[in-house]
Amino acid sequence: MSAISAPTTAPATGQQIRNVLLKYGFVIVLVVIFLYLSLATPNFFGLANLMGLLHAAAPLAVIASGLALVVFTGKLDISVGSIALLSVTIGALLLVRYGVHPLLCVLVILAIGAGVGAVNGFLIAALKINPLIVTLGMMLALRGLALQISEGRFITLPDDIRTLGSAQIGPVFVDVLIALGVLAVVHVIHTRTPFGRRLMAIGNGEDVAAGLGVRVNRLTFMTYVISGLLASFGGILSAIQVGTVSAFLGDGLEFTAVSVIVIGGISLFGGAGSILPGLLLGVLLLEMIRNGLTHLGASPYSYRLVNGIIIFVAMYADSLKSRVQTRLKVKRDG
Amino acid sequence: MITQPHLDMQHIVKSFPGVQALRGVQLQAWAGEAMALMGANGAGKSTLMNVLGGVIRADDGEIRIGSKAVTLRSPLDATANGIAFVHQEMALLPTMTVAENMHITRFPTRGGLINGKVMEARCNKVLSRLGCGFSPRTRVQDLSTGDRQMVEIARALLSEPSIILFDEPTSSLTSREKARLFDVIRALKQEGVTIIYITHFIDEIFQICERVTVLRGGETVGAGALKDFTPDQIVQLMIGDLDVEQREHRAVKTDTPALRVNGLTRDGVLNNISFTLHEGEILGLWGLLGSGRSETVRSVIGLDPLDSGTIELRVNGALKTVRPSEAQRHIGMITEDRRGEGLLLPMSVKNNLSLANLRQLLTQLGLVRERDEATLAQQFVDKLNIVTPNLRQPVRTLSGGNQQKVVVGRWLELNPPIFFMDEPTRGLDVGAKAEIRNIIFQLAEQRAAVLVISSEIEEMMALCDRYLVINRGQIVKELPGNASKNELMAAAAGAASEGMRA
Amino acid sequence: MTTEKLTGYSAAPPRKAHDATQGEALSSRLIRAIPIVVLVIVAIFLVFGVPNFFTQRNITNVLVQAAPLAIMAIGMTFVMITGGIDLSIPSIMAFSAIMGNLAVRDLGVHWSVGCIVMLIAALLLGFINGYAVAYLKMIPFVVTLAMMTVVTGASVWITNSVSLAAMPEAFFDVVLYRLQLIEGIPIPVIIPFTLLVAIIAIVVIRGSIFGRWLYAVGTNVRAARVSGIPTQRVIFSTYLISGLCAGIAAIILAARLGSASANMGPDGMVLDIVSSVVVGGVSIYGGVGGPLGAVFGALIIQIIGNSLNLLEVSYYTTLIIKGFVIVAFVAFDSLGRRRGNG
Repeated sequence: MSAISAPTTAPATGQQIRNVLLKYGFVIVLVVIFLYLSLATPNFFGLANLMGLLHAAAPLAVIASGLALVVFTGKLDISVGSIALLSVTIGALLLVRYGVHPLLCVLVILAIGAGVGAVNGFLIAALKINPLIVTLGMMLALRGLALQISEGRFITLPDDIRTLGSAQIGPVFVDVLIALGVLAVVHVIHTRTPFGRRLMAIGNGEDVAAGLGVRVNRLTFMTYVISGLLASFGGILSAIQVGTVSAFLGDGLEFTAVSVIVIGGISLFGGAGSILPGLLLGVLLLEMIRNGLTHLGASPYSYRLVNGIIIFVAMYADSLKSRVQTRLKVKRDG
Repeated sequence: MITQPHLDMQHIVKSFPGVQALRGVQLQAWAGEAMALMGANGAGKSTLMNVLGGVIRADDGEIRIGSKAVTLRSPLDATANGIAFVHQEMALLPTMTVAENMHITRFPTRGGLINGKVMEARCNKVLSRLGCGFSPRTRVQDLSTGDRQMVEIARALLSEPSIILFDEPTSSLTSREKARLFDVIRALKQEGVTIIYITHFIDEIFQICERVTVLRGGETVGAGALKDFTPDQIVQLMIGDLDVEQREHRAVKTDTPALRVNGLTRDGVLNNISFTLHEGEILGLWGLLGSGRSETVRSVIGLDPLDSGTIELRVNGALKTVRPSEAQRHIGMITEDRRGEGLLLPMSVKNNLSLANLRQLLTQLGLVRERDEATLAQQFVDKLNIVTPNLRQPVRTLSGGNQQKVVVGRWLELNPPIFFMDEPTRGLDVGAKAEIRNIIFQLAEQRAAVLVISSEIEEMMALCDRYLVINRGQIVKELPGNASKNELMAAAAGAASEGMRA
Repeated sequence: MTTEKLTGYSAAPPRKAHDATQGEALSSRLIRAIPIVVLVIVAIFLVFGVPNFFTQRNITNVLVQAAPLAIMAIGMTFVMITGGIDLSIPSIMAFSAIMGNLAVRDLGVHWSVGCIVMLIAALLLGFINGYAVAYLKMIPFVVTLAMMTVVTGASVWITNSVSLAAMPEAFFDVVLYRLQLIEGIPIPVIIPFTLLVAIIAIVVIRGSIFGRWLYAVGTNVRAARVSGIPTQRVIFSTYLISGLCAGIAAIILAARLGSASANMGPDGMVLDIVSSVVVGGVSIYGGVGGPLGAVFGALIIQIIGNSLNLLEVSYYTTLIIKGFVIVAFVAFDSLGRRRGNG
């Protein structure tokens, strides 16, 4: 039997360069920006600041990792911010107003997160309603509900909880370690479990995957549950950092989370990308920019604008990448 | 000693609304042999294979595997009964690795996590059996088409099938890859697997198969050992027996070129296609399925990309080089896929008919003159005998044949100087076919230039003033309008059996 | 055939290949009509259950409040018929209003020029959306979501969260002018103006070649392409139109509110627009519905919002209700479509 092994023609050099750029572009950008900020501002490159940066990034990383699983299947969940807000609001109220034990509150928060995720999942996977509309509607409805329950007022968390929020082991914040742990777990789920691999299969092609026997509906449902769960968990981290639960929690979070995902090289079309190092880098880049903008003295309002531009650029790169892939594939099929 | 067939399909019937795809088909295949399944487009091959693969259920008939009667309700049933289907359009997950593709529904795990080592070992075992040198960790999107096919086969082999169906496996392979595939098939046969091989390349079946079954019009019209057939006989069975219709039409072909294309090339699909289409001429682009017929005409009007080549169109009395997008405005294109690219199914007959011609029906403000539109549409409904209660009927409710007439009608309304017709009478009954043919004659008589693609030899012979024979993206021969049926069939079979040039 | 992952343009016609009878089309229409009927009943209940609804003042108020929503819904209709979506309309509206005010304040131009600036700013943003979606082939939902964020961010940044009230009296006098057609009943000119916009939209969509092209693209973009329709241009122009509508709405709203600010178009407004459009029978999958329905939908949404307000239901609860409404509508739309197409 003949052994014919190597794939046929290698891509042309121009294509190769382009591919490298698309693949590593953001790492390069990350390094460049890091250097720039370190040199251009006095306080950026300091242990305290960098640790603070990671501290601020932790909740975002957790929430984004849940969302990433949904994106791997080629769908979106833009209700994560509101899930965080609602679940944490209820949990905080239980704690502060009704004296419920903190651990129980945590459980309730996580349960609400998973529960809402289940509702999303049901509407999307079982009833086949458009995911964008479902999560858009959910985003606004949940936010309304949360604000209704809290009557728009701040809920201040008790001191001992707040100290937890700033707990450190040496110079490193505890929640950073927790976030890294979550990322690692999600990463393992994504890369080393059948579940995670099948999510990628769905993202590659829902019909192809279904034809191969992958249980698309059930898996899709589960991604939304996990997304909701991690959203509420991230909400907890965020709330205890700040010390209060207010309407600001989770505001615009869905958008930041999507940005981080796209920047991290996870394609919105599904089926591509990684948690480690991809999502991690995305989170770091975004937080770095946010942190850097403050140090550069830019108006806090400009952050949203910069964020939006970044996501535009990242999306453009994403759509380019997917088109390049298709083009290469078509060429090969010759 | 007469051995029993391992696979025995008897009297398989399957109807879809509007068309009876299988009218009682028989297929028998023996273990350790490859059975070639031949038939023209629409003859029922895919439907039969889909029944065997569990994708659709037959309305009637019996399937026996290893002398046991089976019911196949789903692809899982098929796999459970030892049937593996290697599709033409590979069901692969491009961003994932070979190993993952092969194991997507059956990962070996240890403690909930995927056991990479076991997975790889299994892959390597199968891949080496197939003579593949690439690592199971390679991403499928980085593999050549031939290697990807090997992955499909490898995945099929994991379930240890007793029957493997190959659907048009060699369409996109290089000759080396094809040779490898044939080696694999021979090895499989030696292991006692039953192979069913679907292709339109007749030369191949003589290389790799022992038996053949030919379908036409949803029926088995021939079956037996390949050594008892010649290629011509097979083509004849596929294409049909026929009285060539008396031509009622005198060729009005002129020498004035309406369209000239030069050097149309697209990597892997079209190879230096050049021809001239004259006013009043009906030119036939003749070749078997997959030869590049549709791709040629589609690239002229910009529906498919082109790497190089020029297109010249007759505008205002002289030939002018144009881009495909401009060519599209002067050419009426009846595509092969009328449901996917021809019709707007939920929209009315009237709207579908006028879709290409709206620019001519406008008031100064850009509003559509509805009354004129309706009158014009009615004219074509009458002319083409489109059966519909009224113009407002959604096209989706019409029968297949009438739907096709709507598509034809749309381009007739626009009345461009050039027509490309890709299988214009597919799905129509004899009467409707004749009607469309007459219309084509009329168009030619009015000095339009028509290029026709059809898989039905009677039709081509009745219509064409001239033939271009195409195979694997290249024009290989030109035949005059009075070429005999045998010459045409030989050209098609011959082109096919001339093998690959690549 | 692919099921949709994100809202995008249909690459293939409805699934099943068998011919449906007219009966099926009817059942799909019935299913999609259910939520509308329910909503209309609810609206009627609210209208009669709410004190002070049937005063001339309140009715005029409702209509005037509904005007910018209706116009933005019309813009959204164009986009959605082709199967796309534009989430950035309210933010573009706010941004243009800000731009217009800035032009008057900092450049000293006449207020009419300020209005033109508003329209141009909106058109430019619509241009970017349209270009990204039609030519760069990006996903409409995400593009317009990004645009929404960028534009809101820009609005906030430029204004420092302060509202601008740079328009002179003359501006308000003109835009808020009340016609005295019938004795004692002043009708704000905004209302007939909106009707005019609606009529133009209806004429264009139902009667013009462009309208036909819209439906063709939304139904089967490949077939449209084969038939010679410039599909990219069509899709591109729908975003220009939605931008323009945002600009027009900006003028009206800036006049009514007396100022321009970054939160003129709050998050809830996008949902209102989508609700109006969906209630009005436009399918988010494209190919169905028209501006008349959108206007009708806007009216219903406005009435419900207005009534809830009069009933002193909190803003937050209204958000919840709105969220629920839209999910329900899209669910029925989805259900009806799938039934009708097999």
